[in-house]
Amino acid sequence: MAFPHRPDAPELPDFSMLKRLARDQLIYLLEQLPGKKDLFIEADLMSPLDRIANVSILKQHEVDKLYKVEKKPAFSSSEQLCFLVRPRIKNMRYIASLVNADKVAGRTRKYKVIFSPQKFYACEMVLEEEGVYGDVSCDEWAFSLLPLDVDLLSMELPEFFRDYFLEGDQRWINTLAQALHLLSTLYGPFPNCYGIGRCAKMSYELWKRLEEEEDGETKGRRPEIGHIFLLDRDMDFVTALCSQVVYEGLVDDTFRIKCGSVDFGPEVTSSDKSLKVLLNAEDKVFNEIRNEHFSNVFGFLSQKARNLQAQYDRRRGMDIKQMKNFVSQELKGLKQEHRLLSLHIGACESIMKKKTKQDFQELIKTEHALLEGFNIRESTNYIEEHIDRQVSPIESLRLMCLLSITENGLIPKDYRSLKTQYLQSYGPEHLLTFSNLRRAGLLTEQAPGDTLTAVESKVSKLVTDKAAGKITDAFSSLAKRSNFRAISKKLNLIPRVDGEYDLKVPRDMAYVFSGAYVPLSCRIIEQVLERRGWQGLDEVVRLLNCSELAFTDMTKDDKASSESLRLILVVFLGGCTFSEISALRFLGREKGYRFIFLTTAVTNSARLMEAMSEVKA
Amino acid sequence: MDCYTANWNPLGDSAFYRKYELYSMDWDLKEELRDCLVAAAPYGGPIALLRNPWRKEKPASARPVLEIYSASGVPLASLLWKSGPVVSLGWSAEEELLCVQEDGVVLVYGLHGDFRRHFSMGNEVLQNRVLDARIFHTEFGSGVAILTGAHRFTLSANVGDLKLRRMPEVPGLQSAPSCWTALCQDRVAHILLAVGPDLYLLDHAACSAVTPPGLAPGVSSFLQMAVSFTYRHLALFTDTGYIWMGTASLKEKLCEFNCNIRAPPKQMVWCSRPRSKEKAVVVAWERRLMVVGDAPESIQFVLDEDSYLVPELDGVRVFSRSTHEFLHEVPVASEEIFKIASMAPGALLLEAQKEYEKESQKADEYLREIQELGQLPQAVQQCIEAAGHEHWPDMQKSLLRAASFGKCFLDRFPPDSFVRMCQDLRVLNAVRDYHIGIPLTYSQYKQLTIQVLLDRLVLRRLYPLAIQICEYLRLPEVQGVSRILAHWACYKVQQKDVSDEDVARAINQKLGDTPGVSYSDIAARAYGCGRTELAIKLLEYEPRSGEQVPLLLKMKRSKLALSKAIESGDTDLVFTVLLHLKNELNRGDFFMTLRNQPMALSLYRQFCKHQELETLKDLYNQDDNHQELGSFHIRASYAAEERIEGRVAALQTAADAFYKAKNEFAAKATEDQMRLLRLQRRLEDELGGRFLDLSLHDTVTTLILSGQNKRAEQLARDFRIPDKSFPTGSGG
Repeated sequence: MAFPHRPDAPELPDFSMLKRLARDQLIYLLEQLPGKKDLFIEADLMSPLDRIANVSILKQHEVDKLYKVEKKPAFSSSEQLCFLVRPRIKNMRYIASLVNADKVAGRTRKYKVIFSPQKFYACEMVLEEEGVYGDVSCDEWAFSLLPLDVDLLSMELPEFFRDYFLEGDQRWINTLAQALHLLSTLYGPFPNCYGIGRCAKMSYELWKRLEEEEDGETKGRRPEIGHIFLLDRDMDFVTALCSQVVYEGLVDDTFRIKCGSVDFGPEVTSSDKSLKVLLNAEDKVFNEIRNEHFSNVFGFLSQKARNLQAQYDRRRGMDIKQMKNFVSQELKGLKQEHRLLSLHIGACESIMKKKTKQDFQELIKTEHALLEGFNIRESTNYIEEHIDRQVSPIESLRLMCLLSITENGLIPKDYRSLKTQYLQSYGPEHLLTFSNLRRAGLLTEQAPGDTLTAVESKVSKLVTDKAAGKITDAFSSLAKRSNFRAISKKLNLIPRVDGEYDLKVPRDMAYVFSGAYVPLSCRIIEQVLERRGWQGLDEVVRLLNCSELAFTDMTKDDKASSESLRLILVVFLGGCTFSEISALRFLGREKGYRFIFLTTAVTNSARLMEAMSEVKA
Repeated sequence: MDCYTANWNPLGDSAFYRKYELYSMDWDLKEELRDCLVAAAPYGGPIALLRNPWRKEKPASARPVLEIYSASGVPLASLLWKSGPVVSLGWSAEEELLCVQEDGVVLVYGLHGDFRRHFSMGNEVLQNRVLDARIFHTEFGSGVAILTGAHRFTLSANVGDLKLRRMPEVPGLQSAPSCWTALCQDRVAHILLAVGPDLYLLDHAACSAVTPPGLAPGVSSFLQMAVSFTYRHLALFTDTGYIWMGTASLKEKLCEFNCNIRAPPKQMVWCSRPRSKEKAVVVAWERRLMVVGDAPESIQFVLDEDSYLVPELDGVRVFSRSTHEFLHEVPVASEEIFKIASMAPGALLLEAQKEYEKESQKADEYLREIQELGQLPQAVQQCIEAAGHEHWPDMQKSLLRAASFGKCFLDRFPPDSFVRMCQDLRVLNAVRDYHIGIPLTYSQYKQLTIQVLLDRLVLRRLYPLAIQICEYLRLPEVQGVSRILAHWACYKVQQKDVSDEDVARAINQKLGDTPGVSYSDIAARAYGCGRTELAIKLLEYEPRSGEQVPLLLKMKRSKLALSKAIESGDTDLVFTVLLHLKNELNRGDFFMTLRNQPMALSLYRQFCKHQELETLKDLYNQDDNHQELGSFHIRASYAAEERIEGRVAALQTAADAFYKAKNEFAAKATEDQMRLLRLQRRLEDELGGRFLDLSLHDTVTTLILSGQNKRAEQLARDFRIPDKSFPTGSGG
């Protein structure tokens, strides 16, 4: 029942090259500091690093001890310290404090800072201000693309979302452009480019400029990937805010998949130990259920268990030779499958337990009501209750945002009362969170009547006016009216249901949300690919407030094979969810495409909300 | 061609010397050469003349004129000398004219008489004056050596990286040495000087007396000394008319000659070819030129006019008022071919080709003769080589034709030597042209390299020819055409009489998007000439914003730099400009600039959030952004203050800000928080336990759980918790 790919589906390019490149570069950088050294690694970089170079490789290149970059001082006795960090100011202060402490103690050591994926001038400046710039040597580890799976590349930059969409900080755009440039040098030019969103446009332009400056290298190459689609996360917050019900998404929502692997706790492993499991296409059991609606998963797993049992059972009645064969050839595979199967069954049970406790059905019903736009009062009441019962601060916030976006902002009365209740229930510090959400356009107040539209049209004109360029964020939140309802109608996001939606045999991408809603982001991609551009989508583009920010760039390239033209790289700026990935994988199977995903980080509703939250210091 | 060897003069048994005319000069010399300071650069370089009025008994009142000519006598520059008396002139390796003044100041001029810079040879000279100076070439560049009035030497081995070295004193030196020269050995510059019958070698540590081995007795003074082009050989002319020739290390004698002329020669220079065994010097008197070497007889020429010798790598140039000649040892290949009755393969091949053109069967005979000996490849090679050493295109052609003819009878003769020679000769003939006036020989050209030759053409502003040569030789654009165009553009921006628009347009038209041309470099040059507006216009053509920004900053166009940096999308670049602006502008202006650049503002805010919180507050204040200011204070209330009063105070400031921002909701919420905090504090005091920083609901729940229902209800009333939200105590 897992959908097989169509026989004519194109082969995916080999992305393991990216890993090798990153590894070689890291080794080179480590070798630049010959001799034994201690390596300080930023927590966020640990999992990605693990996917590139394990401890034994590090040891081979004379890394002695490994430390985590933390707030507290570290006591290393090595003569050489190497720091592997993201370019963040707090890291610089940490390093500076270490170096300065050594100075006070009259100790001289060698310090090397390796920035990943690149260094920023501001960081060097902080080092300078702290008076240690001359003591450390700086290097860059241009490791920006981690292949999490055969079709999923992640930049592992969750802060991209907050930095760009909340703070208006554009520094990661350069990193992204570099990453795209790397892809085009490795896998040939992209003959067809599409995109929507301000960040997408800027990244695209910067990327093209990079290609121009280094021209020649990619020109002669045969394109391996026929299309690239860049999409800003703020084009579609709705999809990201919905509860995920596809297995992989649900696992992410429940257990949090981190850098392609998940920690299954004792309740899943049914032992007293936690287990770290890599979730990707190599896990055969997982690969068959990852894109399935959760309601099918249990049935599938039990069927699988029965099959497995049957295979084990074949042992009976085997003669010695057959038995020998069985043990040497099949048993290992079966055991492996058995292990995985029991893990996923455990995970399913655990999910079920949690979801029933939280009245999952009721929650999903409310979400669907919000998406379809009926019984708003009832949904609002549900959210109020949710807040009062203190179910979860993040969940409550998510529902409020979902209500706001689908309704083009909350009506003033609700806006006040919901916020008041939220502050009373979860604590007053969330006042700052609300201010952030407003700025990002996630939780806003409906302005009364037509006055808004007048202002709005003026502002959006300003926003789209190239000369005005990057307008202040204060304005842009005003302009960011979501228009979800109108877009939904235009793009037919809510499928008309005649009878029951058969989740076993999905008809469309809506299956990832139990047949209630086609993810907006995926629908846009589908439409643009079908039309090979934005023609006929003018109204949608306008409703997305992106009149000047949707672009198509098609080069006539006869060298592109028909196979490559069915490979599509989708770039999500600000993160994508597993539901979106599943939906597009489904679309690919239907149309004979293969999608490849590049995201700044894999995200979900909780991560989005946390990114907007202000935590008490 | 019977008389082809008519100008060959044998010296001894094995070598011939020939002198041929390079140009007939029609420069309009106002002065006699003998009245002028003369400097001619090697490698067919320019000639500088400065009438020397200071050495005369009666100083002329009129200021002298410094004139610069090409080797063919085409005037390049002429300027009135307004500075002090000049002792010596000389050309640097970069073809810059160094004028050493009596006061030790060295003025540096370009080929076109443009003043470049000046430097001094030390303070000591100010009192003692410079008696004499030499400009010499080393592997580091060009050096200057001076002899002061106190009979001390000072030298700098590289004027590009000026380090003065005062040489040690020569003991007992009372008068100026009779002659001296700068020597360059083992990468160190020395001075060799003659005082009476003694020779001294000065290095930077000591002064040592030296004696040339095998020097004839009876010498009471040295009148002239000459070092060869490569500093390998030395020649000494004594008052007895005796010439000693040996190695510059003074360890070995090569030969000697007695010319019996006791009059001091005007000039003495070496005339030898690289890799030739023959060593000879050319000595010039007023009306006589003599080539002497290891032979009992010398070659003598009569000079009709005042002449000047210029030593070259492979010969000597001799110029006078009316002619410019080249004197050199006939190269081996030419000698083999043209020597009378030569039976060398090359000679036979040349003959064969001539007969062939005459349609005579003798052609076949000659050819057969070569082929029977199996020497045809050598013959072709000889003809090609000899062609390179011929000055006249007709002779080059006939030799190349012979080579090409011989090639027809060879199966496998690699064509590149022939092709390359044709190309090289074409380039050489082009630059030897009278209008260009660079009389390079083939050996000099190979030594100089095409890159340097192109540089010299660029220096002479012969851009079209340089480009033609690049295109003809198919040099890669970045080394060739683009480089020249960039030089042209840099010259163009110096034309002050042309308007900024025209210059910018002309440059863009020519350069377009030529790869390897950096508009920012050209703009930097324009800025260097004080044309800021032009520089800005040129920068517009620069496709890489990253390249525009540093120059704009340098030109103090920080605001323009900021918008360019923003355009580039490179946040690091933006940051660089921001820091620049921050130092340049006062705080208010800086903030105002930021206000108009949201992208830069966000970037700076992000930085301040982590590094300069106070600045962030000022930023919000400046913008009257009360909303953010409120948020700022709320954050501060969590971050800094432990004491409840401090927190409440911070919150009060925040609430005030929110009121100003007309955000009543936030203001009320903040006030509620203050009330709650105070209340929680009281509860903690009265009931014990932990209340601070609980949410309102949790506070109520805690109260209920601890049996304080009354207080809980009171709290709910005070804060107007809706009934339906009132916690039941079961924790929801």
